[in-house]
Amino acid sequence: MTTKKALLTRSAAIALVGAGTVAALPALADDFPSQQIEFVTPYPPGGSHSLHAGIITTGAEEFFGVSLVSTTRDGGGGAVGATEVAEATPDGYTLLFGDPTINSLRPQVEDLAYDVDSFVPVARINYSPAVFVAAADGPFETIAEMVDYAEENPGDLVYSSDNVNGWTYTIFELLKARTGVDMTGVEYGGGGPAVTRLLGGDTMAYAGDISVVGDHIEDGALVPLCVTDDERMEALPDVPTCTEEGFDVVFQFWRGVMAPAGTPDEVVESLSDSFAAMVEDDGFQNLIGQINSTIDFADHEEFAELWEQELADMAEIAEMAGAED
Amino acid sequence: MLADLAGGFALLLEPVVLATALAGLVAGIVVGALPGLTATMAVAVLAPFTFFMEPLIGLPFLLGVYKGAIYAGSIPAILLNTPGTAAAAATAIDGNAMARAGRPKLALQISLVASVIADLCATVVLIAVAAPLAGIAIKVGSPEFTLLYALALTMVAAVSGDDLLKGLIATVIGVTIALVGLDPMSGAQRYTFDSSILLGGISLIPLLIGMFAISEILIRAEQGLRAPAPSAQGSLGGPGLSWERLRPLMPAIFRSTGIGTGLGTLPGLGAEISCWVSYGAARRRSRTPEKFGQGSEEGVAAAEAGNNAVCPAALIPMTVFGIPGDPITAVLLGAFMAQGLNPGPLMFDRDAETVYALFAFLIVSNLMLLAFGFVAIRYLQRIVLVPTGLLYPAVAAFCFAGAYAVNNSTFDIVIMMAGGLAGYAMRKTGMPIPPLVIGMLLAPGLENSLRQSLTASGGSLSIFVTRPGTLALLAVMVLLVGLFLWRRRHSPQPTPKGEH
Repeated sequence: MTTKKALLTRSAAIALVGAGTVAALPALADDFPSQQIEFVTPYPPGGSHSLHAGIITTGAEEFFGVSLVSTTRDGGGGAVGATEVAEATPDGYTLLFGDPTINSLRPQVEDLAYDVDSFVPVARINYSPAVFVAAADGPFETIAEMVDYAEENPGDLVYSSDNVNGWTYTIFELLKARTGVDMTGVEYGGGGPAVTRLLGGDTMAYAGDISVVGDHIEDGALVPLCVTDDERMEALPDVPTCTEEGFDVVFQFWRGVMAPAGTPDEVVESLSDSFAAMVEDDGFQNLIGQINSTIDFADHEEFAELWEQELADMAEIAEMAGAED
Repeated sequence: MLADLAGGFALLLEPVVLATALAGLVAGIVVGALPGLTATMAVAVLAPFTFFMEPLIGLPFLLGVYKGAIYAGSIPAILLNTPGTAAAAATAIDGNAMARAGRPKLALQISLVASVIADLCATVVLIAVAAPLAGIAIKVGSPEFTLLYALALTMVAAVSGDDLLKGLIATVIGVTIALVGLDPMSGAQRYTFDSSILLGGISLIPLLIGMFAISEILIRAEQGLRAPAPSAQGSLGGPGLSWERLRPLMPAIFRSTGIGTGLGTLPGLGAEISCWVSYGAARRRSRTPEKFGQGSEEGVAAAEAGNNAVCPAALIPMTVFGIPGDPITAVLLGAFMAQGLNPGPLMFDRDAETVYALFAFLIVSNLMLLAFGFVAIRYLQRIVLVPTGLLYPAVAAFCFAGAYAVNNSTFDIVIMMAGGLAGYAMRKTGMPIPPLVIGMLLAPGLENSLRQSLTASGGSLSIFVTRPGTLALLAVMVLLVGLFLWRRRHSPQPTPKGEH
């Protein structure tokens, strides 16, 4: 990102904010929070992000003392909402519901209006590994067979992908980089359509969230190949990790809360504590369970460490996969 | 299955279930009738509240909101020529022409009855043959979608008015607007001029509100300035709907129902596209195509049946595969999941009772809509009696609120105003607006599916002729275009011969 561009976008944002509202002075930390908090989801309604955001914001008031207002700002694969939060007043009243693609990978490989440093981590709610799946009537049933197939038929293995630098996209880039095989990804824009095209027989493989592929695995239409985690998933105890199968592909897709850089430490800590109390609540856990999700909470300090590590990993992925352009 | 359905009805016959469902329906109608507030938004905002309700209270409530909002988009389209959603824009063409001609009641009633009939038929399809139909729909891949979008683009000819060239120019403008933003496949920025505001592209709904509603308000204001008009700009009453009036419309309603059901079953093709395709098809098959655009009852019926049939049909891929076809079913999917119902291949085994109760509800809600609608229309038609000087400023205020609410974005208000000025200019120069909307609606889908097809085939166009589905679609396309050209050549209409 060029400095000139950064200045332009920033001044445009300031002009907009200035015209619309009187920018609030950073609130005193002991008063925090004294007004409602805006919780920005950068993806369209209906995906796993907005589903989680709906549950988080509905039950939040009890734990924050003020309400969390869920705001959807989708567009640009999450870049629009992230940009808006990055440029918001860093007072803790505007938060981003972030993830690895918009917070860790894309700012490193794309020319976006915000940077990795534009945010500070507040709390990680949970994470999911991806499950590599193949069509049940396809030519391979394990990840090793899939890689062999791709090796013997370079470019013929067509898989369903989501977006450039998206979750599925990155996982396959990682697999390609680690094995050196050639496969063709088709970007369908999201997990739903990607699985549809796999089920419809247009593609041969996919990697994504269990909430999208779980029922199709149980139904027998899709075969699980491996999961991109350090250990096996509780829901799929018979499915090996990719590492077990000899492919070093680990990718945990977290859902976490980010605040604009410059948010006072006391405010971040206060928010982190409130989220920590919320995830302990039975009602909250029950709703999260209903959408087949789990809680893997990390407070702001632990999350910061995990994120630091991830940023390094992403830089490596970007270099290996040659995503940098 | 019929026993399941009967059990479903039994579960529904609780006063509290019916009462919340009716509340949802009314809430949906109010939201849908306001320009810019869409069905998707209403369902998305209300969904989290249902997480804490019983499944058979929360889900009928949401489905009621959905149904009410989709139907109600036609009310302002007819009465004020200000469609708040792309799905109602086709209804505005003839619906508003009817209202101006002193038949607002009839237009509203036709729209209601066509909606209910289409929705009922599509619901029966959903209940009876969801699984086999979804099995076929999932085989429809990117190459077929490419041709379906291309086919839908030919509808431009039906809504271009007298001047096809102007229609094509408007289409190209619409397609160009749709290009702004991130390239869907490579992520490259297109026409964003290094501005983060444009990364998300030009939103359709604010632009649409501007093009239709704001331009209408500008034109009204202009007329008001020139001639201080009498306060009542419309007349009340007019003829009501009777079986004699309805019967000639039935072929158009059933054709549109078929189109809407078919398109709705395909994930990704929503009510917005179906209403235009239905409208275009009705005009092609009509005995009185010259009435289209001038207040054709067939036009209203076709457009409304076309967009409402999509609602139940869009639930087909959602319930069978757990795959939402459009943003609104995606939100519904979330609400289903939060209730512990996982739409997908296993839902019918796990939760048959609840699923059939919801299916039964879809039928009941149609009857509720019909009854409530007829009562409401009596009062709604009076809107045209409100003095212009009061009515249109109020509509303008709703437009601003609605355009902002779509994405909570101030820039969308700028888009709306720009759309309003452009729409005004287009009306003054006789450039039709619907082709622009169609271009903008279809371009992203066409581009995506074309590029997905070519990526999968390694760049070879043969993918469009080696699949049975694509061959059939190509044949239909050649036939339609051929017919169109033949008709133009042999048209007895008084087309100006010019220098020949």
